[in-house]
Amino acid sequence: MASPVTLKEKRLLDVRISELPSWVLMRDFTPTGIVGAFRRGYDRYYSKYVNLRKGSVAGLSMVLAAYVVFSYCLSYKELKHERLRKYH
Amino acid sequence: MLSRVVLSAAATAAPSLKNAALLGPGALQATRIFHTGQPSLAPVPPLPEYGGKVRFGLIPEEFFQFLYPKTGVTGPYMLGTGLILYFLSKEIYVVTPETFSSIATVGLLIYGIKKYGPSVAEFADKLNEEKIAKLEEVKQASIKDIQDAIDMEKAQQALVQKRHYLFDVQRNNIAMALELTYRERLHKAYKEVKNRLDYHISVQNVTRRKEQEHMINWVEKSVVQSISAQQEKETIAKCIQDLKLLAKKAQAQPVM
Repeated sequence: MASPVTLKEKRLLDVRISELPSWVLMRDFTPTGIVGAFRRGYDRYYSKYVNLRKGSVAGLSMVLAAYVVFSYCLSYKELKHERLRKYH
Repeated sequence: MLSRVVLSAAATAAPSLKNAALLGPGALQATRIFHTGQPSLAPVPPLPEYGGKVRFGLIPEEFFQFLYPKTGVTGPYMLGTGLILYFLSKEIYVVTPETFSSIATVGLLIYGIKKYGPSVAEFADKLNEEKIAKLEEVKQASIKDIQDAIDMEKAQQALVQKRHYLFDVQRNNIAMALELTYRERLHKAYKEVKNRLDYHISVQNVTRRKEQEHMINWVEKSVVQSISAQQEKETIAKCIQDLKLLAKKAQAQPVM
């Protein structure tokens, strides 16, 4: 499916489902590429929610909430044993 | 993703660069063009005032907008409530003593933020304002300096335009000096020529006078020589007779 913008440069939300595997394979998986991807993600979040004239607590609280959820997911295996009921 | 956007923008804004890359290395040296595209980071865009909106301090506004067409305004709230009840009932989220301590902590945090948030924000804004004002001052001073330099440069350039007055004055002076020298020399030449001509004239005059005198002397001498003694006697007798006649006439006249 030919599109005016080449597949390599499209953003994830613009990629069609059929093109998804080829898009994923085309991504840059070198160490520089991965570091670049993290850098870009960080820059996007930073410039949208933190680097502002009148920033709010949301920039920080979203990061902390994500950390809380992530650590809960990691420690779910041990928390399973503290359930109050056996059958749900 | 940003770099990709910048790359595509650069490729569309400066096609000459792309074309230049297709030539060989030798040709590239001759046709290399620098700084033709728009500089992508200048001037630096100002910091945005407010960032992405977030509800409850946790969920970005885009999520609510994403669900609005299908579920309306209450959709995400119902989703949230349903998810919370599901997690609690299926014990995907386990209620432990930590739950109560976290409820207390989060409650305290929210109370503190709601109460002291605005004043802290004002204080931070004031600090930011001072920083910006100082930087702005430096920038304005620098701009003023450069503007002064530009004005002085313009004045100098304007002076250059008036140089021709100076050159005209100099040219006039030189012309006058040349004229003066020319007239002096002309006068000198005239005097010299007049001098020589006067000399010739005076030489001629002297010669003529000498010739005249000499001729007169010579004629006198020859006349005197030619008068013999007898002629002298006759001339004297005749003169005496004439005188007597004249005396008679003179005597006769007053009687009449």
